[in-house]
Amino acid sequence: MNADPQKKFAGKRRLLILGAVILALLAVNVAVPRRQARPLLSARTLKDLAELATVEYSVTKIVSYKDVAWYGDRKILFETAATVKAGIDLNELADQDIKLDGDSTVTVSLPQPKILLFNMKPEHMREIFNESGILRSDFSNQEKDGLLSQGEKDIRAKVAAMDILQRAARNARILIESWLKKMGFETVRVLFKEKGGRT
Amino acid sequence: MKKIFSVLHIIALLAILLLLYSPLAKIGLLPSLSSLLRGGTPKIEDTPVIIQQVKNIAQMFTQTFYDEYVYDTGVLRTPLFNANKRLIFIAKGEVISGFDLSELSEKSIIRRDKSIVVKLPPARILDVVINPSGFETFIEEGEITFEESKKFHEDARRIFDRNAREKGILKNSAEQGRQMLEKFFRLLGFESVDIIIPESR
Repeated sequence: MNADPQKKFAGKRRLLILGAVILALLAVNVAVPRRQARPLLSARTLKDLAELATVEYSVTKIVSYKDVAWYGDRKILFETAATVKAGIDLNELADQDIKLDGDSTVTVSLPQPKILLFNMKPEHMREIFNESGILRSDFSNQEKDGLLSQGEKDIRAKVAAMDILQRAARNARILIESWLKKMGFETVRVLFKEKGGRT
Repeated sequence: MKKIFSVLHIIALLAILLLLYSPLAKIGLLPSLSSLLRGGTPKIEDTPVIIQQVKNIAQMFTQTFYDEYVYDTGVLRTPLFNANKRLIFIAKGEVISGFDLSELSEKSIIRRDKSIVVKLPPARILDVVINPSGFETFIEEGEITFEESKKFHEDARRIFDRNAREKGILKNSAEQGRQMLEKFFRLLGFESVDIIIPESR
């Protein structure tokens, strides 16, 4: 007979203790600040360049992401575009890379071409589709930036595997030859330096 | 009564678990509950990169301006019953300036024996580059649409352009272009080199 009220009392006491614990934890939760990376201060610097861009590729890519889960899906689709410029870095041109033979013949050994600039302009991006299930959170701005960054990485990798560097080399050769001929050189030879040799 | 007590106990224990998890997630020791609901690291699908245009160009890059900028939209008021919006992001990128040598004509290069005169077009900003990997969201409040975010990103690019001009990118660009070409022409055997560059606007 006496056991029941005692049990009830113990139960109530336990609930009170749990309530007190919850209140204490709530206070801790409010007190703990959310961890955020501090924004960096502006670092403005000017730097000299000596690059000759000879080809520009304009490319497009669809960036799509599907997050399928039992409690709902999230799907998003972007249309993106990038401009890639390739050419030669004239800083790598040494004095001995220009050889004169009399007044009318010149041989120029250029460095190997490389990708000089990659530009994905925001105005060339478009969100085509964006849908999230009722139980799923919407795509945040941070998530969208993350997905577009992955798209950027993929475009960089795929463009590097295209013939952009060959075209850049060909155009650089044509350009230098034509300029030097305009300057009065009759015979112009443009070569490309290789590692340890020339082609 | 006993059942009610049991249910209350379970609810209280769950609440305690949640409240224990939350501060640990806040300080970054555990993943946030929202990220658990979102699933694993997002990975885009493999789609092709399509070439739209290939253009032969002749641009000489002579100066670059690296910049980092904290962009704050401020609190954006929204209609009644909608949460106000705010976006703070860090933009990192560069401004490239130089000369568009495709503007050179036959008349731009004058040679007389060992002297040469080259008339270049004015130095100008050729590209402002802030790629998606250059944007880092710091604070995001309320629902910011892609179009809104795009406008802020475009504005950040305009700020980069303005900062670069204020820092004297065009003047430096012209000077670097002059030095570079002088060196090149002297290596070609010219004794007198005159590079004429109109002032940039």
